[in-house]
Amino acid sequence: MHIMEGFLPSPWWEIWFLISLPFIVIGLYQLNRLVQEKREALPLLAVAGAFVFVLSSLKLPSFNGSCSHPTGTGLGAILFGPFIAAVLGLIVLVFQAVFLAHGGITTLGANVFSMGIAGPAVAYLIYRAGTRAGANTYATVFVAAALADLVTYVVTSVQLALAFPGTAGFLGAFSAFAAIFAVTQVPLAIIEGAVIALVFKYIVQLKPEILTRLNLLSESTVDKLREAAA
Amino acid sequence: MYEVLEDFAQTNRLRETSPGLKLFLGLSSILLCVSSPGPVAPLLVAATMSAAILALAKIPARFYARLLLVPVSFAVMSIAVVLFITGSGAVLFEVPGLPLAITAGGANLALLLLARVFGGMCSLYFIALTTPMTEVFDILRRLRVPAVLIDLAMLTYRFIFILIEEAGQIYRSQVMRLGYGRFRESVRSFGMLAGALFIRTWESGEALVLAMDARCYDGRLGIPGEARPVSALALATTLLYLGAVFGVSLSTGGLVII
Repeated sequence: MHIMEGFLPSPWWEIWFLISLPFIVIGLYQLNRLVQEKREALPLLAVAGAFVFVLSSLKLPSFNGSCSHPTGTGLGAILFGPFIAAVLGLIVLVFQAVFLAHGGITTLGANVFSMGIAGPAVAYLIYRAGTRAGANTYATVFVAAALADLVTYVVTSVQLALAFPGTAGFLGAFSAFAAIFAVTQVPLAIIEGAVIALVFKYIVQLKPEILTRLNLLSESTVDKLREAAA
Repeated sequence: MYEVLEDFAQTNRLRETSPGLKLFLGLSSILLCVSSPGPVAPLLVAATMSAAILALAKIPARFYARLLLVPVSFAVMSIAVVLFITGSGAVLFEVPGLPLAITAGGANLALLLLARVFGGMCSLYFIALTTPMTEVFDILRRLRVPAVLIDLAMLTYRFIFILIEEAGQIYRSQVMRLGYGRFRESVRSFGMLAGALFIRTWESGEALVLAMDARCYDGRLGIPGEARPVSALALATTLLYLGAVFGVSLSTGGLVII
């Protein structure tokens, strides 16, 4: 959920900018190093960013007809790590604010934190833990993407509740925002998880070189997965 | 919709005005809206920005009205929550059977937020409709934003348009084959769409690497920037306008509607 332009009052929007800044700086540092090592990384990162933009501006099939969309950044974090995913998230969110009026400039810091940092970090950690534990790859991707989506909405609720505690106090306001966003989001998070897992499956079947070259899956895992599918 | 927005940015009547000035005006208006303590100044910004978009930049009114409707559903949901959880002052309305009530304090806060969102949105559209992205990149470069970030943003921007086209084609052919008939099918089709899109994207990225290498890409993209001087009159008008909005924001800050 993007927080809209003008919705967060001072000092909250400044605070979220400050919180997001170090992640972006580390991301830029990693990005610089990556680009110097492998020149081909830049165009590939760019297409990944554009993919996240397009995916998150398409509407997911949803039952309740609510206007929701996948965050898509979970995939970016699994592929490139959480810090570079934060930089991609920043770029995508600026374009979404300007082209689609989703989000805004002053709320950029808060949105980068919820969608570009918190969600992707969760996806990345779950994916790492899952592969290390030897869990089923698709199940890991499913859980990682679904939880990343949910975490994004929980963080958004926290941000809104901190800015507008009302008379109910932080916890009361949080449960009100979380009830509206997170509860309608649970089925959508599950769908997003399923969709991203399907994306992974297509990549493994059709172009596994992408995954092996990024050191995400070893050749033997890919062979095993393709055999299982065949 | 996206291409149309960018088309207007390239052809509108304010195209030749200095991009730095337009960006400065838009961003300052957003800041004034967010920091305004009362709803009058943001509404003034919304009105003047819309006037500038329609009268000065000559964007068709019907198209602009459709743009303004895009974020409405997002706004209504969040503002409804604020309306109900903020309780101070006289109770204006109670929901029968539920512990929910609208108070004067909540209504004022909701109104203020609505005005800020509306003002910010119009300022954002002012930038989007009058300033092409390529010129924004040029300004960012002059502001010493890291080159790698600008290059990445430019390439991402380029690919967004290509991908939207492809996603649309895949989606239409899926719909024609009844791919979104039932819920199960929709999820499967959507996954297929995203998967196919990702692989095609990646392939076009690899093709781009080849094309750039063939043209001696050395890790830096160059864009020729043409400096358009800011006219003194335009700068003075902008500063006068921003000063006026700031004055209105200060003098109507304590104004309470309800």
